[in-house]
Amino acid sequence: MRILRRRGWELPERMATPEVFVLGRRTALAGAGSIALAGGAHADAQRNAKYAPGRAITDEKYATTYNNYYEFDEGKDLWRAAQALKQRPWSISLEGMVKQPRTLDIDDLMKQVQLEERVYRHRCVEAWAMTVPWTGFPLSQLLSIAEPLGSAKYVVFETAQDPKMPGLSSPFYPWPYIEGLAIDEAANDLAFISTGMYGKALPPQDGGPIRLTVPWKYGFKSGKASVKISFTDKRPVNFWQALQPSEYGFWANVNPDVAHPRWSQARERLLGSNEMVPTQIYNGYGEFVASLYTDRKSEKLFM
Amino acid sequence: MIVPWRDRRGRLLPLKATVLAMSFIPATVLAYWWAADMLGARAVNEVIHGTGDWTIRYLMISLAIAPTARLLDWPRLLTVRRIVGLTALAYGVAHLSLYVGQQNFHLGFVASEIARRFYLTIGFIALLGLGVLGWTSTDAWMRDLGRRWKLLHRSIYLLAVIALLHYFIQSKSNVSEPVFVSGLYVWLMLWRALPMAWQRSVLVLPPLAVIAALAAAGIEFVWYGLASGINPWRVLAASETLRFGLRPAHYVALVGLAVALLAAARRVGGLSRSRPRMA
Repeated sequence: MRILRRRGWELPERMATPEVFVLGRRTALAGAGSIALAGGAHADAQRNAKYAPGRAITDEKYATTYNNYYEFDEGKDLWRAAQALKQRPWSISLEGMVKQPRTLDIDDLMKQVQLEERVYRHRCVEAWAMTVPWTGFPLSQLLSIAEPLGSAKYVVFETAQDPKMPGLSSPFYPWPYIEGLAIDEAANDLAFISTGMYGKALPPQDGGPIRLTVPWKYGFKSGKASVKISFTDKRPVNFWQALQPSEYGFWANVNPDVAHPRWSQARERLLGSNEMVPTQIYNGYGEFVASLYTDRKSEKLFM
Repeated sequence: MIVPWRDRRGRLLPLKATVLAMSFIPATVLAYWWAADMLGARAVNEVIHGTGDWTIRYLMISLAIAPTARLLDWPRLLTVRRIVGLTALAYGVAHLSLYVGQQNFHLGFVASEIARRFYLTIGFIALLGLGVLGWTSTDAWMRDLGRRWKLLHRSIYLLAVIALLHYFIQSKSNVSEPVFVSGLYVWLMLWRALPMAWQRSVLVLPPLAVIAALAAAGIEFVWYGLASGINPWRVLAASETLRFGLRPAHYVALVGLAVALLAAARRVGGLSRSRPRMA
């Protein structure tokens, strides 16, 4: 039997968004009067056709009102509370094994990169998923700005700890929220830094103003509201690994055949729909990232 | 026709009718929220959790009926225990049915999940047990089983533990809610373990509240120590202060003390009412 394997960008015509909607949205956004630099830039970002999601984009209403963000709440209904997080001024410090440690203002950073839009599948470890048009730039561009030393093996993302985050007062969690990638994972073109979604600035509840987006890994790997990006030769212990070491690890690549200790990862529910669809290995991005792991087979790649 | 809200002669039983009507309130509210699209992006999941919460709540209420009847000198309350127990079963059945629906009614997948995921296995066992108790809850079964009926229905004490364990394991990392309910369960079981003569005593209630609260703190400590990377000593320390807000153990103590106050008030009220008769 011949199995037809579609590449990520080979999507059937019925999946393509009609041009009128795409153009209509841009025109509408452009006509919205005085748009802040960031907002306008996000509306103008070109969609990268290479990473077509192969399924419908999640309704913005759901993608912006349902997610985990323990700094604000342990439940999912936190988008109102998150509005308190001031998005400007915002700076990101580059630390550790870099040529020159320094602090970058987010707007200065955004002038140095080329914004684009990418529609990525997002798979939460809790077996729900969404499909989101992110705007931002490849993490590799940030790496070349940061200039890590050759000895750096990992890049670590630290989330803000703001007085407006009520969850930080809980004494049980290993704050701050830390996430990390191996340096070659970070250099992969799929690894993305998002500063917007749905053609607008990234809302605070979804990790605004700036966050990591690594779509082949479970959602918790994509740290939100980044304030510090550091380079190290020691593998970091990420937040969920510190919290539940028996259930969560460092690599956390999506794999339908490796169940969470408590539940199956075989299928996922698409937000805002009653559909339960099969989960794919590396969340369907294997053609781009599987080669990162050929020499790491002895590691726990999927938890 | 025999209906639960009338006695055999057809007279209305207001207490039973009220309790029966109230049992529909959580389901109605959940259904309304669902229909009005107020439950967000994963509505089915919310309803599954909601029905599960109400299963365990009604289970605890059913266990609280005997102590309440005794402490508040309200024996008629015992007549609604069957309705309350069956309500717990109904919410449990809804809980499982919604899960099956969430899996697009793939019964094979559901069966394999129940067999493979420990928390689903025990949840299913608890529900099966509850089903047996529901099935044998009729007057006819009570008559036929005689003394064995009571023995069979005491298995609810064990089923409640299994249901609580299911509640714990399905939690993400915060187990405050199951810890609180476990504290209440400890109170209910300790009260049952009291000598008959003490079960009406108001004086034993404050120490009972304190012991149940300490048990809740202990359960919380053990759970975090065994099942998470959270430092259990920090959790325990948080229950020694109010700096982090009210912890589950505090709520257990408050509920226990509220029961003590209610029972005391009832005793005082009962005495003042009975005084004219004594005179």
